[in-house]
Amino acid sequence: MSRRDAERWPQFCARMARLARALELVYAGPPPDPLARSPGELVRMAGLAWRVRGLGRKAVEDLLRVLPMPAADLLDDWFESDALKGLLGLGGVMHLARGPRSGGSAFALLHGHTGSPPGVFRPPRSNVAAVLARLPGIDVRRGVRVARIAVRAGGVASIVLASGEEVVAECVVSGIGPRRTLLELVDPAWLDPELVRAVRNVRARGVVARVDLLLDRDPGFATLTLAPSLDALERAYDDAKYGRVSQRPALEAYVDGQAANAAGRHRIEVHVQYAPYALAEGDWDAARRAALVDGVVQALAAYLPGGAAAVLERTVRTPRDLESDLGWPEGQMHHAELALDQALWMRPVAALAHYRTPIRGLHLCGPALHPGGGVPGASGRTRPARRFAAAAAADCSRATAAPTIDAVRLHCAAARALSARAAAKTRLPP
Amino acid sequence: MRPYDAIVIGGGHNGLVCAAYLARAGRRVLVLERRERVGGAAISDQLFPGFTFTVYSYVVSLLRPEIIRDLELPRHGLHVLPLESTLTPLANGDHLAQWSDHDQNRRALARHSPRDAEAYDEFGRTLHQMARAVKPLLGTVPPDPASLAPGDLASLARLARHFRGIGRGVFHALHKLLTMSAADYLDEWFESEALKGTKSASGIIGMLLGPCSPGTAYVLLHHYMGELDGVFRAWGFAKGGNGSVSAAIASAARARGAEIRTGAPVARVLVKNGRTTGVALESGEEIRAARVVSSADPRRTFLELVGEAHLPGELVEAVRRFRFRGASAKVNLALDALPEFTCLPGRGAHLRGAISISPSVEYLERAYDQAKYGEFSRRPYMDIVIPSMIDPSMAPPGKHVMSIFAQYAPYHLNGGWTDARREALGDAVIDTLAEYAPNLKSIILHRQVVTPADIERDVGLSEGSIFQGELSLQQLFSVRPAPGWSKYRTPVEGLYMCGSGTHPGGGVMGAPGRLAALTVLGERP
Repeated sequence: MSRRDAERWPQFCARMARLARALELVYAGPPPDPLARSPGELVRMAGLAWRVRGLGRKAVEDLLRVLPMPAADLLDDWFESDALKGLLGLGGVMHLARGPRSGGSAFALLHGHTGSPPGVFRPPRSNVAAVLARLPGIDVRRGVRVARIAVRAGGVASIVLASGEEVVAECVVSGIGPRRTLLELVDPAWLDPELVRAVRNVRARGVVARVDLLLDRDPGFATLTLAPSLDALERAYDDAKYGRVSQRPALEAYVDGQAANAAGRHRIEVHVQYAPYALAEGDWDAARRAALVDGVVQALAAYLPGGAAAVLERTVRTPRDLESDLGWPEGQMHHAELALDQALWMRPVAALAHYRTPIRGLHLCGPALHPGGGVPGASGRTRPARRFAAAAAADCSRATAAPTIDAVRLHCAAARALSARAAAKTRLPP
Repeated sequence: MRPYDAIVIGGGHNGLVCAAYLARAGRRVLVLERRERVGGAAISDQLFPGFTFTVYSYVVSLLRPEIIRDLELPRHGLHVLPLESTLTPLANGDHLAQWSDHDQNRRALARHSPRDAEAYDEFGRTLHQMARAVKPLLGTVPPDPASLAPGDLASLARLARHFRGIGRGVFHALHKLLTMSAADYLDEWFESEALKGTKSASGIIGMLLGPCSPGTAYVLLHHYMGELDGVFRAWGFAKGGNGSVSAAIASAARARGAEIRTGAPVARVLVKNGRTTGVALESGEEIRAARVVSSADPRRTFLELVGEAHLPGELVEAVRRFRFRGASAKVNLALDALPEFTCLPGRGAHLRGAISISPSVEYLERAYDQAKYGEFSRRPYMDIVIPSMIDPSMAPPGKHVMSIFAQYAPYHLNGGWTDARREALGDAVIDTLAEYAPNLKSIILHRQVVTPADIERDVGLSEGSIFQGELSLQQLFSVRPAPGWSKYRTPVEGLYMCGSGTHPGGGVMGAPGRLAALTVLGERP
């Protein structure tokens, strides 16, 4: 597509991989606290700074410069091919209520690059959540709804299920996001009004819909991305900015090879962006849902063998459905948008950055906490991996951060293998 | 005669400040200005007989107090008249007025939203605290965070101590302000669309970014740091236009022995064995000096005046990707009478302040939408002042001059800027403004439209960027203008930078000129 881009690609991959390594170092533990007074934390931060500096002078300069950038500027600096920039640019806005020209989207692009080998700019898709759930010593009860968290004398006493059943526990770790945990499950009277205000202000605007298609044949690709240029992405975002579904949304279709059944049918799961949670006009009614699915099928038909006729079943989940089905607040996969003002020691808000809440024994985990969600585009079967839940667990048991690092290592190693395989199968649309 | 100790390229306000500080320290300094007059983008001109315009810039506020003090600028004719209000006319015939008088302001806001009137004081205090926390940086030479040199480490340690000392609340608020969009930031405070629109407008000035794009909240703070006579957030208007700011600094420089030559365009910086030996003028004349300080922007300085051959490849690459993207235009009008705003008719105090066409965040964002695809805004954001209301000497009796700062007018316009497009932009500005002041079209005696392309050609600012490069987070402090070169020095020994393209950036602030001079003198600020 461009000889010049092809020549620059290896250097780009190397530079971005080095930045991703720097982020991984920061992601491997709880967020640094630049205002910390404790010698332990100061030593940890100095160590972190030293290791990041160890990646080279260029890495430090790039970190300062690249993180706040719009992905569009970063990509324009390197490449000329619209197709390549569109494909990479989508990585910078994946699940986020912003366009590739918005500042900070380069950070999101790098975030999605962590845990992946050089050149793979999509987060890995893994079954780490399922693997963790099978670990010995963990009871998983499905189909239960927590109605509230009972607090006594400033500490967690129990959780009360919707059925009325009470489960007594002194330590509760909530992965459903700070807003629902603190404003809905806990009596806000236990919280400082400042904290309540800050939690209310956490931005979590969902902009993604999921369309699942059942095909009567093998579509012939593993991943198909329709994001033809940065301008196309930006225009899609313009619609969402004013509360409309994109006229030409960016699409990323994943085929689950293992789900091919005996009749040769294949499931495709399509990430549709932008479809805002809050619409300026009207609601997510049946007509709008149908229009969204039709648009997606139409757009994909050109790349599907057999065209639209090959689609046997189609279902859609709007941001409202993602909220009710998966518990994503406002349909936002990251629970708290991945932005520089909601990152590191500010994630999701400064007072909660260390996984603790003011209520003794109540901890937070999940994508709203540092370092953020990591499995965008995952299917409905795979929950967003709580890959750093271990951090909260570690904190809860007052242990060191070691289990976190192990979890990251495990995850990264598994992810590298998986995404290398996915990368081999990914191809650009003609 | 004794040779020059230093040559300053460019007689804009930063070049002049730098020259004045060098001369003050006893150095023999020569300022070389391409045009026939000094001032760069801060000049006043009689474009139409009897009417004086500040052609490019229009207000003062950011000029550093230590510079005013050190150079005794009031003694050299600097006189700043305060702007005391901001009027935002609204489409429905209503208006939002903000006043420097606290109670009047509160009443005006409460009319739109009692909640916002409540929040406003707290907002002002928070921004004030943050501006105080950031202000010391304006007088600091940025350290290189990637360097392990003792000087840099010490400077970093000082910075760390400073920021660890400002308090947890302020630190976190500052983090948010640096990284958020103006729209999101203001959403946390206010509900009134007109107030959010007008406040967020400070976040987009000079930037090709919409108020919803992260990074714009910082520009809001940058404009909040204005400090006239020790009062934060006081904007003023220089008597005689911004040209008198330049004239005062030039006079201060001359009084201390600096020489200023106008009509002397520099063709290149002479470099020998990695050292500068002086400059060559376009006329072919060569002037020797051991030190050369360029107030031109990084692109002009490095790629045109020095040349790639003398520079490391990495710096050349960094300068090439340094973003300018001028986004604003200026429309200057000579008026036969005062404009009548439908929302507030008559000759009121509001005409002595700023008038802002920014009815909502969405209005600004839509103006930006057109610009990001290479069109100018059909309904632009405007920041308007009528200098003749404050300083009657600007126009003949009964007549007026109006200065309209309009955005967005992108430098990279589809098809490029032509005379026809310049006039079309002027029409769009006038048409939009006439919606709020219907008599406007009938009272225009003369109209001048200045596009970013005009600013680039006439003033020499690349891409017409009024800050000599965007004030986005990735181009500030230690990375302005390039990683490793934020300390006013360059890879060419003896060559320094002193323009707004260096820390802390633009806005008729003068700080880069001062910090560069102190660097040349080897003094710590």
